[in-house]
Amino acid sequence: MRRGGPGARDRILERVARATGSRARHPHPGRLRTDTVTDPVATFVKRFTSQGGEVVTPDPHRTPGDWLTGFIAGLDGDVKGVAAGADVPAALQPGTPAAAPADAGAGISVAWGAVAETGSLILPSTGTRSVQLLPPVHIVWLPAGRVFARLENALLEMRPELPAAIGVHSGPSRSADIGRTLVTGVHGPGRCIAVWLRGRRTDP
Amino acid sequence: MKKRIGEYAARSRMTVRREPSVREAVTGAALSFDGKRRRAYGEVDVEAWRRWAEGVKNHLLTHLEDYLAEAEARLEANGARVHWARDAAEAREIVLSLASDCSAGSVVKGKSMLTEEVDLNPALERAGIEVHETDLGEYILQLLDEPPSHIVGPAIHKSLEQVRELFEERLGTTPGSGPDDLAQAARKVLRDAFMRADMGITGANFLVAETGTVALIENEGNIRLTTSLPRVHVALVGIEKLLPRMRDLAGFLQLTTRAATGQSIGCFVSLIQGPSIRPGDDGPEEVHVVLVDNGRTDALLHEHAWEALRCVRCGACLNSCPVYRQTGGHAYGWVYSGPIGSILGPGLLGLHEAMPLPFASSLCGACGDACPVRIPIPELLLAWREEAQRRGLTPWNERIALAGLARMAERPGLYRVAGKFGTRLGATALARKLPMLGEWSRDRVLPRPSPRTFREMWHGGIE
Amino acid sequence: MNVALFVTCLADHYFAGAAADTVRLLRHLGCDVTFPAAQTCCGQPAYNAGATGEAGRMARHALDVFADCEAVVLPSGSCATMVKKFYPRLAGTGRAAEAAGLAERTFELGEFIVHRLGVTRLGEGLAGRRVAVHQGCHALRELGLAREPAVLLEGAGATVVPWEAQDECCGFGGLFSVKMTGVSAAMADRKLDTLPRVDWVVSGDGGCVLHLDGRSRARGCGAEFMHLATALWKGVGGRGR
Repeated sequence: MRRGGPGARDRILERVARATGSRARHPHPGRLRTDTVTDPVATFVKRFTSQGGEVVTPDPHRTPGDWLTGFIAGLDGDVKGVAAGADVPAALQPGTPAAAPADAGAGISVAWGAVAETGSLILPSTGTRSVQLLPPVHIVWLPAGRVFARLENALLEMRPELPAAIGVHSGPSRSADIGRTLVTGVHGPGRCIAVWLRGRRTDP
Repeated sequence: MKKRIGEYAARSRMTVRREPSVREAVTGAALSFDGKRRRAYGEVDVEAWRRWAEGVKNHLLTHLEDYLAEAEARLEANGARVHWARDAAEAREIVLSLASDCSAGSVVKGKSMLTEEVDLNPALERAGIEVHETDLGEYILQLLDEPPSHIVGPAIHKSLEQVRELFEERLGTTPGSGPDDLAQAARKVLRDAFMRADMGITGANFLVAETGTVALIENEGNIRLTTSLPRVHVALVGIEKLLPRMRDLAGFLQLTTRAATGQSIGCFVSLIQGPSIRPGDDGPEEVHVVLVDNGRTDALLHEHAWEALRCVRCGACLNSCPVYRQTGGHAYGWVYSGPIGSILGPGLLGLHEAMPLPFASSLCGACGDACPVRIPIPELLLAWREEAQRRGLTPWNERIALAGLARMAERPGLYRVAGKFGTRLGATALARKLPMLGEWSRDRVLPRPSPRTFREMWHGGIE
Repeated sequence: MNVALFVTCLADHYFAGAAADTVRLLRHLGCDVTFPAAQTCCGQPAYNAGATGEAGRMARHALDVFADCEAVVLPSGSCATMVKKFYPRLAGTGRAAEAAGLAERTFELGEFIVHRLGVTRLGEGLAGRRVAVHQGCHALRELGLAREPAVLLEGAGATVVPWEAQDECCGFGGLFSVKMTGVSAAMADRKLDTLPRVDWVVSGDGGCVLHLDGRSRARGCGAEFMHLATALWKGVGGRGR
């Protein structure tokens, strides 16, 4: 049921229409031209890491799952359990014991893609949102062919099939609200690690 | 928040005099934000970006009824529910009834100036609902029962020492804890709140009409959690926050963050289309969008106030403002402070309610240069001042003095004599008792007139 | 070139010496200087207070006074802005073209020397002097005169010392300094607290100088302030009486 005072919607729209009718209509200025990105992968890495993100290339001689198990074992802080998003194929999951997102030492996701100009990973809600947010470390498989030069390109590509929500993650959680000192891992993950996923390995 | 706008002159003076730590913290934080904003502007063709953003918002605001209808239809098609609130009371009622529908005992909130504007928290608390502000700065202020003093950095007026003492007392942190430990202590408390909350409440940076996307920018991750974990998400959105198309959003997300903090984009951006209704999707079962007017259509109908509705709440004008930097936001006496507050105030509340905010500026122009959507803030301040004069809202003695000045200026002989007499009188002990000069002399040595006026020197011959 | 001096209220009464130095400097640079006697206030106090009607009357008076002048020079960035930027809006129907014409013929002192006369080298009179420049807000942001004062001071031999707060408002703002006196004084304090060690603080705006000097003396800061015209005339090596 729609809430609000009786006629609130119509009253607001009527006043808005009165206002817009009283002045010249401005045309839309068209597209914003942002800088050309010549090498999206290099730009993504530069931007994402400058924002505190990490980018890792897995050992091509091992299976992704094996490599990830070893990688997680090498992380600081002794990760005892991991949580993987609902959309992470078994082949991309580590052998580390599973844990609920709230208890896991690391969360594993697969990105829909990445954006070079802003250094961002795009995480749809078809993955498990609590996995993207609750564990202190977030490890994100990033398909290498899915780095978009510009944010606009990525959003337009998604537009026809938008999920309930999209998270655009551009580095670890941070805040400078206490004494203007930068602190990471405030609410979301304190580490955000993108792991390249090369073409054929995406297919389990 | 009780409005105390009328006390601006006295309260700003008191802040400067009695709370040097506020001035120090605010100046430091604002200058740091401003420096980052300048650097980030320098990395792109910022004049082209700003003109584009101004154009998009002008287009939006002159076609707003169409885009509101489109956004509503899109959101409903996505499975979200749309509600309309004409004023603060209606906005509160809507949220309260939604909370009651889902029997909410506890809500988590993402930072939202609009929820401050409509005084949402006290209403929720009166209804027996636990409210947890989850932005770290907002959390600090909730513990202190203070309103935010800055749009982007709500607690910038607090020093590390003050937060340290507060957390020691309230959260039991050990004395001498650093920012990391303090943040971790807050994280622990708030993590628990996230896990228990029945409802998440946020504002919105943008609402894309084309796709029904509610966009939220942040750095901590608390907004992502607020919009992901609880079963119900409610977003309060000012009707001016719309953007026509997804393509526009890409530019606005970047420009807003560059203006606010100098980042190329926020660490986390949430783009929310609706509840998780399709199989395999994850998140809240209900998403509600409350479209709030609360004075916005008044501003939209006003001859010049409508331009302020382009505002994206980045805080760049606050950071660039040498007046704001001396006091922080509380002196302004309501939710929006600094240059933008001084033009939004009269637009949303009516000029009478917002006096003397249009006069809380030296008209230095720094805000206009900083604004990412090119709101001509100094010109709008002047326009409001003009309206204040026209409606007789300024002090009577000031109006008489200005009328007198104009009269004299048209009579050079009178002007010459009065000028000489006035400036000489102003240099005597009597000046301290005069209006205006007396005010000036409270903090400054009165100027000494030249021994002879230039006019006299000219007639004597200049060599 | 014939130049009419629009002296401005503050210069007439508080910086008469600097106004005289403006005349000397312009004569030194080859100009014939006149002083239209019927000139009064440019109207800025009224305009900034929102008294647009009053400001318009004052603008029209100035349009009459300076109607036939080849060039008009003001030793004040903010009053020059009034004529150049705001008169065209205030002049009223029928006089807009006239106001636009006057705006085009009107210059702030430093702007006139650098851009109209094309002079940047004035002499060596300020050799060994360390100066800081306070940039008046209107000259800087409305007229875009960011470099001109420093260029001329350096062109007169001075060392211009960078000042963290050089482009920040001093808090004067006309009526602002009396309406919001506390916060206005704090703005001056921010300028004074960041001031580097210099011989003089120089500005092309008398209002800012009055304000900063008044606050500096109230606090016993000991900084010395000087109008740009006086500094430049010293730079030429000139004297006057």
